Amino acid sequence: MQVFSTPKTIKENSSFTFCPGCDHGVALKLVAMVLDELNLQEQTIAVASSGCSVLLYDFLDVDCIESPHGRACAVATGIKRAHKAQGNNKFVFTYQGDGDFASIGISESLHSALRGENITAICINNTNYGMTGGQMGPTSTLGQITSTSPLGRNKEYHGFPIKTAEHIALCDGASFSARVALYDVKNIINAKNTIKKAFEYQKEGLGFSFVEILSSCPTNWKLSPQDSHKKIEEELSKTYKLGIFKDIKNE
Amino acid sequence: MSYIKINQDKCKSCYLCMDVCPKKLIKKSEKIGKTGQNVAEFIDTNNECLGCSQCALVCPDIAITEVVKE
Repeated sequence: MQVFSTPKTIKENSSFTFCPGCDHGVALKLVAMVLDELNLQEQTIAVASSGCSVLLYDFLDVDCIESPHGRACAVATGIKRAHKAQGNNKFVFTYQGDGDFASIGISESLHSALRGENITAICINNTNYGMTGGQMGPTSTLGQITSTSPLGRNKEYHGFPIKTAEHIALCDGASFSARVALYDVKNIINAKNTIKKAFEYQKEGLGFSFVEILSSCPTNWKLSPQDSHKKIEEELSKTYKLGIFKDIKNE
Repeated sequence: MSYIKINQDKCKSCYLCMDVCPKKLIKKSEKIGKTGQNVAEFIDTNNECLGCSQCALVCPDIAITEVVKE
């Protein structure tokens, strides 16, 4: 019995161009597996953003559109509403990094949640700007050394990191907000179930659903893939608590 | 007999699969991959593979393309 095979939604003969050990690959694989399970491939429109997450359209065999930096939720809003006006029921999700979702795009993201747009946003939180060389991002933790904070993030000078999933949970229009991690098999399976739940909430038309994925960046953290996962387990998941912060069905 | 298939052209030698395999059946091979390091290979001489597919789940590059459990 075949228990695992390459998801149908991953393009044939494509291989990920991420760095070795990067969790982006795992996250994209989970998204593809969930799209397969819910049989959504033909009606999905994915919105990519800027950063490493932009590479999505090279690998996923769904319709994709590239949005300006940070504006993925705004572009997704337009797509969803325009198709709805024509009577098409498209499945729309965004795939963004933390710098994109929580820094330059925080206005678009939060207001999409406040309007209760019926889209799903997936935010990969690796606590820096990975593609451009590991600069400090809004999610960098206190004391974290990055290329633009060589002495570590300082709360007097740089301020505190943003906890995106909790902020989205405070929006009345949001139906689902959760934070998951990918550092071991148990968490990967949990992440897959959470993404599936978020996608199902959109299918049921409940409003904005959001999943933040704590992800490793071995290249810019200057750690091995194994040590990066250990860092997420021991350090990052203390600052960024894992769990479901809003679930409209349990209120 | 359970087995996995590794596409060595996709392997980037992060070795996350080696750590997660409960039977330690995935090892570094002699072959050098595109990152300049030894790629992973699956050696199961005593048919020990459980078909748990943990290796396929953690592989960030979908280099483990198939897991068959019997």
